[in-house]
Amino acid sequence: MSAAAPVAVTGLGLVTAAGIGTEATWDGVCAGVSAATRNPALEGLPVDISCTVPGLDPARHVGRRSALMHDRFTQLAIVAAREAVADAGLDPAQWDGARVGVVVGCGLGGVSTWEEQHRRMLEHGPAKVSALLVPMLVPNMAAGNLAIDLGATGPNFVTATACSSGATAIGTAAQLLREGACDIVVTGGAEAGVSPLMVTGFAQMGALSRRLDEPAAASRPFDAGRDGFVIGEGSGILVLEREADARARGARVRSLLAGYGASADAHHLTAPEPEGRAVLAAVRAALEQAGTAPGDIGHVNAHGTSTRLNDAVEAATLRTALGDGAAVTSTKGVLGHTLGAAGAIEAALTVLAVERSLVPPTANLEQLDPAVELDVVAGGPRKTALDAALSTSFGFGGQNAALVFVAA
Amino acid sequence: MSPVYDKLVDLLVDRFAVDRAAIGPDVTFEELEMDSLFLVELLLVIESEFQVKIGEEAAAPTDTIATVVKVIANEIAAAAP
Repeated sequence: MSAAAPVAVTGLGLVTAAGIGTEATWDGVCAGVSAATRNPALEGLPVDISCTVPGLDPARHVGRRSALMHDRFTQLAIVAAREAVADAGLDPAQWDGARVGVVVGCGLGGVSTWEEQHRRMLEHGPAKVSALLVPMLVPNMAAGNLAIDLGATGPNFVTATACSSGATAIGTAAQLLREGACDIVVTGGAEAGVSPLMVTGFAQMGALSRRLDEPAAASRPFDAGRDGFVIGEGSGILVLEREADARARGARVRSLLAGYGASADAHHLTAPEPEGRAVLAAVRAALEQAGTAPGDIGHVNAHGTSTRLNDAVEAATLRTALGDGAAVTSTKGVLGHTLGAAGAIEAALTVLAVERSLVPPTANLEQLDPAVELDVVAGGPRKTALDAALSTSFGFGGQNAALVFVAA
Repeated sequence: MSPVYDKLVDLLVDRFAVDRAAIGPDVTFEELEMDSLFLVELLLVIESEFQVKIGEEAAAPTDTIATVVKVIANEIAAAAP
């Protein structure tokens, strides 16, 4: 195997339904209690539950002007990125912005803005449509506005691979560092897809849980009684640097991103390819780049959406790829499915698991699906030494991404 | 200054997060950090709030608040029966 040079993770920022901030999110997933609740904004729709970020005051968290001109997905990205950059001990006023890249995954963009302005046009005519419509809704604005906020003038773009977007962004960011295009990359994902139209669209696909009377029990990855995911929102941002650079400036290296693999099912719009061949290829590519043997992976933060199809195919594929030695969890049990942000939020949680030798539990796992032949952690967090861990992400369209993190 | 001026100031404060203390008749939109994009949005809001029609060219970032107050007042007068 020819391992690539690892990349250091020096900063983390998280905004999720479990709270604002990395520690709030970590505490939430370790508590293993789902953050899903009834959402008044979805009242009357076929599905009215979601995992929504509590207590976000845009005026206070991103500033009054930014609160007016940014869709929620951009606001979430700004909050997470500021935390990540501060966590990395970096000061944007001091850095050479030309050497700082921003790569942020986003599956949908400003869908709430789209819906609100479309409603205005239908009800009141074109004169009522905001001039800020376009700059608020286009999905590149998470990355674009982070550049403005952080003074980062290096390579800047959004990756859109549906629910893999955040993981694709992180893997791509590592490549930018290895090829020398920049010295620091602020990367991750952001999504605020809890809008009436989007929730209805996912519900019409049959992708969402209908356990509406008990929202906190609805997201139950790998459980025999699972019936779909709970839509969520959030952002996860990582600061990446070449390991040598991070060590040279005395940064705290939280863990190392050692491997990234990507593939496409080339099979179906939404259903995973039943044999999981492409997923297997992505996992194996990530392991190979990391120079890690399958048996070395002590933990998997699985995609684990809590849909019948995903969890069954994923479990079988992970079993084939790794055997049954890894402690598997799906943090979507607590946080719901944050779509384009999920891969990044879960990557950040994998970094924390490796750093802290602690695997969070899978919420609501009462009876493991007998077809899932994996060691899925349930009940409470599990203390275990971790040298290497894997985070898997799969998007509609059959787009797969796998990230391997190793202890610093 | 005038009811139109007072209402415009309220709009700038409430809808565009402008600091009320920074606003004055001779202050330009540029000085309030309102760029051309914000100005387009402001003109849309003005049309809606004052029930007048004004073109996108009615104001530039270098114009003062008083200039736009005058444009609005003229349109209101022209529309009066």
